[in-house]
Amino acid sequence: MAIVNRAEGRAYLTPLVGFLLFFLGFPAAVNLIYSISTVSFETLRRPSLSGFGNYAAVLADREFWGAVSFSMRFGVLTALAECLIGLFLAVFLTPLLAKRSYLMAPLMLPLMVAPAMIGLMYRLVLHEFAGPVPYYLFEWFGDSPAFLDVNNAFRTLLVVEILQWTPFAFLLFYMAYAAIPLEVREAASLDGASALKALWWIELPLMLPTLVIAFFIRFIDGFRVFDNVYALTGSGAGGSTTSLSIYIYQAFFKGGAIGKAVAASVVLFLASLAVLYGLNWITGRGRR
Amino acid sequence: MKLNRTSFSAAAVLLASVALPGISHATVTVLGWPGGSEETALRATVEAYNAQSGIADADKVELLFFNRDGFFDKLQADMAAGSDAFDVNLVATYSIGRYAPYMEPVDLGADASKVFGESVLKTMQFDGKQYGVPTDLSLHFMYYRKDLVDALMQDDAAKKKYAEIAKEHLGKDLQPKDPDSWTWDDWAATTLYFSKQVNSESPVRYGTVLQMKNLLFNMMVFQSLPRSYGADWTDKDGNVAVDSDAYKTGLELYKKLYDAGASPKDSLSYEYAETNAAFGSGQAATALQWNAAAADLTNTEKTPAVAAVTGIVAPPAGPNGRADHIHGLGLGLNKNAKNKEGAVKFLKWLATEEAALLYAQSGGSPALAPDVAAKVAKERPDLVKLGEFASQYGYVMNGATSANALSVYELQAKEFTGYWAGQQSLEDALAHTKAGMQDLLKK
Repeated sequence: MAIVNRAEGRAYLTPLVGFLLFFLGFPAAVNLIYSISTVSFETLRRPSLSGFGNYAAVLADREFWGAVSFSMRFGVLTALAECLIGLFLAVFLTPLLAKRSYLMAPLMLPLMVAPAMIGLMYRLVLHEFAGPVPYYLFEWFGDSPAFLDVNNAFRTLLVVEILQWTPFAFLLFYMAYAAIPLEVREAASLDGASALKALWWIELPLMLPTLVIAFFIRFIDGFRVFDNVYALTGSGAGGSTTSLSIYIYQAFFKGGAIGKAVAASVVLFLASLAVLYGLNWITGRGRR
Repeated sequence: MKLNRTSFSAAAVLLASVALPGISHATVTVLGWPGGSEETALRATVEAYNAQSGIADADKVELLFFNRDGFFDKLQADMAAGSDAFDVNLVATYSIGRYAPYMEPVDLGADASKVFGESVLKTMQFDGKQYGVPTDLSLHFMYYRKDLVDALMQDDAAKKKYAEIAKEHLGKDLQPKDPDSWTWDDWAATTLYFSKQVNSESPVRYGTVLQMKNLLFNMMVFQSLPRSYGADWTDKDGNVAVDSDAYKTGLELYKKLYDAGASPKDSLSYEYAETNAAFGSGQAATALQWNAAAADLTNTEKTPAVAAVTGIVAPPAGPNGRADHIHGLGLGLNKNAKNKEGAVKFLKWLATEEAALLYAQSGGSPALAPDVAAKVAKERPDLVKLGEFASQYGYVMNGATSANALSVYELQAKEFTGYWAGQQSLEDALAHTKAGMQDLLKK
């Protein structure tokens, strides 16, 4: 039996739908108009429609594809590394955390720092003359890599991102791992399954929805990275560390190409939507 | 319940006592230039202004700072949106054209020209109207280690080594010189001599610190080198001239020094703060840096490793003599200011001799008329050099005060750093820059 009837349901949903339409729909509509307009900061309130030239300009821009490539590589690699390390930590730290739950707080600490602050912090930490890391590398080995030069910047940015966000993946996996019923593990043990086999054939499949969701969330966050990359390298020498978000920011503010920037963000939105549908399909398949 | 009510009341009173004074007393909001000596000086000056007996509570000043990185982008967005979050905002010579539509001219009074001089007031003018009070004049000093250079000049074996390095890396017969008479080649030879990677006997790790991060302000530091070889953004007919031999020479010299290891490997991510840290650590022999760093780099408490042995000269000379990029920072009136009367009152006070001297004594770098500068010459000898270098070597590129000047610097930063990092050829970098500048400067 339905708890509320259809009319009541509509009445309850109307404020939420109205809220979403106003606060999400209105800016989205404005952005769509800007993306097919000639517009500048002076003409923000009176853009003139000019067709799909902005989309053509974005798709023909080699820097846009460079930014897409950077964001894609950054998103996939960071999400993979964060999920693998987070999974490893969840499996091996769960027994310890069951006894000493207070250790969870320091493990979560990196999540408490704003990404821009992490960027500024690492600018100091990695600075050849002011930073402790190069200092000790010089002390111990007589040399230190240039962490932010054009050859190492990408790897450094990956490590910084992974160090900050692995705790997030770990937290999700820890909760999923801890939620696996004890009886399942006991039954596997009685049947003679080793810990590794139980992990591979029983626990990981049970955690699969969490694994997929964690990977997806971390991929999206990595894909749209801005703050720490911008604070650490700007957009990199010759634009070498320009993510898609930085590309849009630079086109909007620095280039004054508002229509082009908004068109790029619409392309990004459509690509994200495609990924969302893909994920929906994967998780739906799992349920079936 | 009673306890809850009491708790809520107490919390409300506490919050009100903390928040309300800040709101009620500071009704002229000033958006200043964040970080560095400019912020320190402005804070001290505003404190003195608020402490004056004649200032009504409603006209007291509160300061607001964004991040330095991306400052002008945020300012543009705020001003274009008609923000009234600040009454007074920062303005710079290179951004007046961009922000003038959102600002109101101010009359600073007849005495302002006695404090700053007409030429300095002009750095804050657009279309013949005064848009701000000039607070800081910015140009570049060549900072160098006196102890290292003196030792080099007195050691015959070192001189021989210097000559060998100059011949090998620059293909020129050079001898060490007094820094005040350096050409760019002399400076380059000196930086190579003091780089461990070139000369393993060097007492310091690097000969210089190049600021090569993809950042518009770094292009201002760089461009004095090609300028001294005759570079300009456009020629006399208005054609973009960035692909000139002068620019090529400058760009190639930076790359040569970076590739040879004369500057830290991380230089491609260096800006103001990193350069100061590198020079201040005592591991670099020279640094071309903003004049704003002088107060810190010569302060024995702030930079104990090198303050006592830091010398300052103007940037080296090229075939066209010496050149020193110059621009003014200042404060002007937001068109949408909520308290225009209070804001104008503050700006007028800021243009008085009393305020300008206070600003200078607090670490700022105002360009003062000679007789006013003489009053702080003992505490701030760098201000004397500032006036001297500005008048003798100061320049502004053609087009550098246009509405898109900042975008031109951004473009140069991206393309030039790409060349220095080895990601594109010099020809490609200059061709991309030229095409972009043609588009930006015609708008």
